Amino acid sequence: MSNRIKYILLLALALSVGSLVNAQETPNENWEAQKIKGVRYLLDAVYNGFPFLNDSWLPGRIEFADGEIADSIYMRYSSYKDELIYFNKSISAQIMIDKASLNGFWVADKDKKMHVFRKQYFDGFIKGDRYFEVLTDGETKLLAYRKVNLTATTPYHDINGILKNMEYTTDHQFYFYSPEKGYTPVRLNRSALLAKFVKTDQKAIKKLLRKNRMQILDEDSFIDAWKTTEKDGFKVVF
Amino acid sequence: MAANAQKNSGFGLFTDRDIYVSGETLLAKIYIPEANSSRIIYLDLVNRFGTRISGVPLEIKNSQADGFLLLPDSLSTGNYLLRTYQKHNAAKHKVIREIWISNRFDEPGKAIQMNRVENQNKIQEKETDQISIEGIEPQYQINQPFGGNIRINPALLNEINGELLVSVAQTDHSFAAEAFLLQSDSGNEGMPEKRGIILSGIVTDKKTNEAAANITVYLTIPDSVPGFQYYKTKNDGRFYFLLDKYYGSVEAVIQCFGNTPDQRMKITLDDLFAAAGELPKFRQEAIQETFRNNIARNIDAVTFQKVFTQKQIISVAPVLTNQKTYPYYGKATETIDPQLFIDLPDFTEISRELLPGVKFRNYNNEPSLQVLNSQARNFFEETPLLLIDGIPIRDLNVIKEMGTKDIDRVDICKSDRFYGDLRFPGVVAIYTTKSDYSMLPESDQLIRLTLETIQEPATLAETNIPEPNIPDLRQVVYWNPKLKPAENLPIKCSTSSVIGHYKIIVRGKLKDGTLIFSEKQFEVK
Repeated sequence: MSNRIKYILLLALALSVGSLVNAQETPNENWEAQKIKGVRYLLDAVYNGFPFLNDSWLPGRIEFADGEIADSIYMRYSSYKDELIYFNKSISAQIMIDKASLNGFWVADKDKKMHVFRKQYFDGFIKGDRYFEVLTDGETKLLAYRKVNLTATTPYHDINGILKNMEYTTDHQFYFYSPEKGYTPVRLNRSALLAKFVKTDQKAIKKLLRKNRMQILDEDSFIDAWKTTEKDGFKVVF
Repeated sequence: MAANAQKNSGFGLFTDRDIYVSGETLLAKIYIPEANSSRIIYLDLVNRFGTRISGVPLEIKNSQADGFLLLPDSLSTGNYLLRTYQKHNAAKHKVIREIWISNRFDEPGKAIQMNRVENQNKIQEKETDQISIEGIEPQYQINQPFGGNIRINPALLNEINGELLVSVAQTDHSFAAEAFLLQSDSGNEGMPEKRGIILSGIVTDKKTNEAAANITVYLTIPDSVPGFQYYKTKNDGRFYFLLDKYYGSVEAVIQCFGNTPDQRMKITLDDLFAAAGELPKFRQEAIQETFRNNIARNIDAVTFQKVFTQKQIISVAPVLTNQKTYPYYGKATETIDPQLFIDLPDFTEISRELLPGVKFRNYNNEPSLQVLNSQARNFFEETPLLLIDGIPIRDLNVIKEMGTKDIDRVDICKSDRFYGDLRFPGVVAIYTTKSDYSMLPESDQLIRLTLETIQEPATLAETNIPEPNIPDLRQVVYWNPKLKPAENLPIKCSTSSVIGHYKIIVRGKLKDGTLIFSEKQFEVK
């Protein structure tokens, strides 16, 4: 009998504690955060090549147009569409984020190296907002437009045996950018870098690169060469 | 000992004057303790029974806030309390300040007694001789420009925390108001308003009267670019919205829909302002003759000010860095202005003739709405998001009678849109010509309210008398709540046409929380 009373009392206590816990919960996670706006991402047609910068969903963060930052978002950058796509876990949807709602984003690659992309208006051909990867920041920025194009190619059979004549080809473009002077395109080689400076500076830059044993072979070495040149105070001619 | 404990509480509530006339504007400055996580502080006017008459939320910057309150014309003559608090701990900490308000249509001689607050927790202020007010004459003529210099001892300058309040206003020796700290151990702490005003409430099921879980509650701030937020309730049925980018009065609509067609809900909002709580005790004092004479003069001054529509303050538009460029439902694929076309009697005709990709049909009095999915090149099977003046509507009967004359514009989004975790299979946003939300069905699931959001900053209006025979009736001739401390602070203003005793006061707060002041009086004859 006494055991039964104990059991009833224990049950009543547990219920009252339960109701207290249910009384007021903590608000939903990130309830104050700005919401991401976008449209459903429809898969791109499968061709040879790859329409994305990264081959998997990678964690990153986005900066909204008002400067607010949202973190830990799984996303991938569509180089073909120049759009950022994120995966909304709670509704299992791939969403293409409205470019107008963002200032830029940061995305880590598989080596956990963070890439910074800023949305900027491009006044060349084709005019409009583009996501540029900021390779070097400063008075004059070195930017990369990681574009992938769909181009015609010789007919081939894809993995499903379907005959196709299009493929995704990378067409990365690089620019020096200054907010006052705008964009000037640059190719990733030594002579293209030298051509961006006045003639009187070119000799000194050649000497500087030689002194630092710098050879421009790829993107990384070009960035290093530009950083060294910029550090010595040489100014790009726009 | 008790006074010492209060001395460094860090709270301070100051007004431009102690005596007002209904219809006037009260200017206030609040000092808040340094360790404060809230962005919002409330300033309310309550009567001595604790009933709130009006109030505003103010933005805290550098542990200080300033703002104004319009004193309604309908107030009866007597003592009132200004109270300031932060919503999350309003039950525990409040600061009150007593003021006197005379009704401008009352006879000045009518009041014979006043009620003064009787409380031990008076907020202490320390008069300092390290701030000297120089160059002020004991007497001035009416409408005479004058100037002075505030000299601050360099040793004190390093101790001052934040900005100074400098005011030059009429004063009355027979009524010197004081501020008190009301503290209580009872009451729970809520969520601090770190980023902005928090609007919260609870959704209950009307059948069971229990908290409703998994209900999406929507907040819409109707506008040309409507503001929108949503919150999915948990087991406690509670919802929260953040109002951090709004200033002044805004219209808001809070609504929810049942998860099943027959589920009916009720939305109950939490109090927007603090409850009266414990009230201070009052003692009665006889009104002096000089006080009564001053009231009579003030009533005349305010009445003439109203006649000549002389402004007391000028609102300054707040700096908005984050203007919304497009609505939450996305950039419209198409925007149609039906008024540019021939008159059409109902929405079925409008959709047929004017809205490409929108299919609105009303077969057997059962309306249906579909939008084209331009990406997939077919119509969505689901009903799209339907908005009237930015407010989500589910009852299609609301729009079926709308003709071209009722509609200002229609935004159409022909894609599968997402906003956070919400999905909109196409959007039809109708903006009405009246914009009065009269189309909205009234129910327990929909609350329309006018919200007082963060007060727009304001400055004291400068003298602007277009004709020499119109009197300048300002009783506050200088008010600067944001004066940056410096060794020498020159001030310039001019007396008004209102004669009487005036006081120039410099107030500030030290880093240890001590409130300091220095004052000088002069007379206008």
